[in-house]
Parts: sequence; C-alpha cells; structure tokens
Amino acid sequence: MEANLLYTISNGETFGIMIATYFYLTGLSAGSFILSTLAYGFGIERYKPLGKVGIILATLLLVLAPLFLLFHVGKPLRSWELFVYLNPSSPITWGSYLLTLYPINCIIYGFFMFRGNARLTRIFGFIGIPLAICVHGYTGFILSFGKARILWNSPIMPLLFLVSAMVSGIALMILVCVIKDRFFSREKKINKELVLDLAKMLGWVIVFDIFLVICDVSVLFVSHREAFEVGNLLLTGKFSFWFVGVETLLGKIIPLFIVFYPRTRNIPALVFACILVVLGIYAMRCNVVIGGEFIPLL
Amino acid sequence: MKKESKSTVRYGMVIDLRRCIGCHSCSVACKNENEVPLGVWRSWVKQIERGTYPRVRKYFLPILCNNCERPICTTVCPVIATYKREDGIVYIDPHRCIGCRYCMAACPYGVRYINPTKGVAQKCEFCLHLVEKGIQPACVNACPNNARIFGNLKDPESEVSKLLALNPFQVVKPEMNTEPRVFYIGGLDITSIEKVGEGIE
Repeated sequence: MEANLLYTISNGETFGIMIATYFYLTGLSAGSFILSTLAYGFGIERYKPLGKVGIILATLLLVLAPLFLLFHVGKPLRSWELFVYLNPSSPITWGSYLLTLYPINCIIYGFFMFRGNARLTRIFGFIGIPLAICVHGYTGFILSFGKARILWNSPIMPLLFLVSAMVSGIALMILVCVIKDRFFSREKKINKELVLDLAKMLGWVIVFDIFLVICDVSVLFVSHREAFEVGNLLLTGKFSFWFVGVETLLGKIIPLFIVFYPRTRNIPALVFACILVVLGIYAMRCNVVIGGEFIPLL
Repeated sequence: MKKESKSTVRYGMVIDLRRCIGCHSCSVACKNENEVPLGVWRSWVKQIERGTYPRVRKYFLPILCNNCERPICTTVCPVIATYKREDGIVYIDPHRCIGCRYCMAACPYGVRYINPTKGVAQKCEFCLHLVEKGIQPACVNACPNNARIFGNLKDPESEVSKLLALNPFQVVKPEMNTEPRVFYIGGLDITSIEKVGEGIE
C-alpha cells in the first residue's frame, strides 16, 4: 500500500569522511609493509629495492592515520582511556593496541634494516606481518560490527578491506618506486623489470578484489529490503557515479586493462593506472563508509 | 548463555499506539528535561500517511532508545562508557565517553547523538535522574493521553506487566535480536511504519 513519510528525525552521520580517510591510510600502510617484507622477511631477492621504501611509507602513513581518529572523536583528550578501560568485544579496543604495537614494530624493523642486520630484520618482519594484517583487518571488523547498516554488517568486510589494502599498497609502491628511481637515484633510471613485476601482481590482486566486490554487492540484491535499497543506492542511485564510475571503472577495470594489455605495459601507462587505482580505492573507502550509513534507519 | 540479572527491577515502557495523537508533547518534554541541544532528539514521533483522499490516515510511531536487553552499543563501546545497569537502563557515563561514535554507528534505531558542546554520546535513559527519585520519565508525564506507560517489567502487578500480559505487543526491528524493552501495543503492524522512508534523502 502506498505510504508517505511525513516526519522523522535523523541524528546525523556517524563515521563520515574522517574515518574513511583513516581506513584508507591504514590500508596503504599495511599494503606497503607486506610488500616490504617480501624481500627482507621472505627473502625474495628481486623485491629488495622495495624493502626500505616500503617500511618508510608504512611508518609514515601509520603515524598520520590516527590523527584522523583524533579529529573525529568528540573528546580527543580522553583517548588514554582506550588503553585503560578495555572492552574485549569492541574492535576499537583491539585497534588501540594494534595501532600502538604496529608502528613500534615498524620502527624496530626499519632500524635493523637500515643497520643491515638481516637476521633481526627477518624476525621483526615476521612479527610485523600478522600485525599488519590485524591492523587493517580490524578496521573491517569495525564496520562488520556496525550491526545497524547492512552494507557494513557483512562477514566479507575484513577480507574485502585487506584485499583492497593490498591493491592500494602495491599501486602506491609502484608510484613511489618510479618517482624515487626517476628523480632521486644516482642513475636516474627506472627499474623497469621490478615495476612490470609489481604491475602483474597488482593485476591479480585487482582481479581478486573485483571478485569480492561482486560477492558482496550481488548478495545485497537477493537479501531483504534494506539490503536491496543499499544495492540500488550503489548501482543506480546517488552513489552510482562514485561506485560504478570512479571505484569500479576508473579504479579497477581500466587499470586492469592497462596492466594486462601488452601494448600498454609501459611505464607512463602504468603510472597512470596506479594513480587511478590509488584514487579508486579512496573512493571505495568513502563508498563503503558514507554509502553504508546513507539510508536513514527509522 | 544469558546472564539473568538478580535485580528485581527491570524498567521498560509500553506505548499504546491507539492513544497516540502525534502531538509531539513527549519530544518537547524530553528536550526540556534533558537539555537536548538543537538539531538532535532523544525521542520523537515518526509520522507517515497512508491511502489517497478521501480515504487517508496518519500513523504515528513514537521512537526512543529501546534500552535493549542485548544492546549492541555496549558490545562495541571501546571504553565501556555505555553499559546496562542492574535495573536494565542502558546508561552512558558522560565522564568516560570519548565520543568515538561507534555506538551511534552500531545502533539499529538511530537514537544516539553526539552532544555538540560536550562532545560525548547521549540518548534516552528513561530519565534516570527522575526515575531514581520515584518520578515518571518526562515524556510519560507529558503525554496527554497516557499513551506512554512506564514501569517495572519484573513486577507482575505493575501496569506495564499487565498490559503486556493482556495485549499482543510488537518491538521495533525484532530481527536485530537486541530484545528491545520498549513495547508497542495497539495500532497496526509497526514494521509498516518503521520501513517507510528508507531510501529517501
């Protein structure tokens, strides 16, 4: 039966762009760290040039990320309470410890790497991998535990966040490698082999990411009414430009094409693809966080 | 396993939708009593209309914090600033809340807000300061038709218990498994009111 809404109240947005940016930065950091450990943890020689850049990026991004949390909370001076009053069922409580341990581990790992101590670098690299996965996985859990919103309350969210973290991390790493080699190295020569190798990795991770997004969004359309509304919001509604256009087409399909099509496998095209990917993942974070809470609850 | 509280008091509210006339007295009284800032509300009356002229009718759904038995807000609060008291009221400690808004994001009823001047989360607490002195909550006192009835759910002689024993009742979003303690009796199926408006801007 036809019914119209006459009056209701919405008490405003909850997470918004600050939290989306925070998720994005932790994702970039975790992605860079895992790439860095490929050489110094797992000992894959051809990724050696990534180690030092990766750890510097991971540390810097993770020092930056919690600032957005402090801007977001209403009482930043009370943040010490997070370490004293613990609620084991709250992902933010897990996160407050992860966000402390992970950068400390990053700094120790980086310190030994620059000192050339291979054994200790390896040990702290292996400690860092689960930490990096947790630090970004827990942000997925923050949204998964947000019971009110059907787009968030999904068990796939932590995995989706981890995979998109890898996508953005690899893309950022390619960009940084190209810039570093082109402008700051002695030979001013880009390590083409490494960049192509990373691009291939990027391509396959994007394929996996697309698969996860298809899983996530397709189920929305066969679930209950609220899920259907969110699905429509993303595919045809207000967020369709950002979801279909920016996140999927510009951020995933076009870069995938550039990476795998032989004629476009050259440095300028790959740099372009990586810029698209890095922006596309930011759009993804915003779509999930802001799109998820867009539809009023009551 | 659910831990059963030993307390003999469990506050709850029954809202008789047949008596609600949509006058918003409860919303105003609540704002007044609890000093709720501009732009945010602890309790409000959602209104929808159904049908076409001349067969048209308005329906009302007073909304407030359900003070759930299994609240998700207490599960996700990182500093245990919000917790369920012995008497069942879900309370927010204003001196501990850090304003992270996670409870707002998790609450399926959207009844929490951030106080813009204090920076902490707030919501309906069944006018705890009045109830502790034996006075009814402000919205219950203000309702001209006694549509809101407040009392102890564990006392079989209380008015809320009697109403719930004698009437079919509903809660908002039972599928969320939060076990709300605000019950609606009378009126039509409240899901048909609650769902209207999803997907609007």
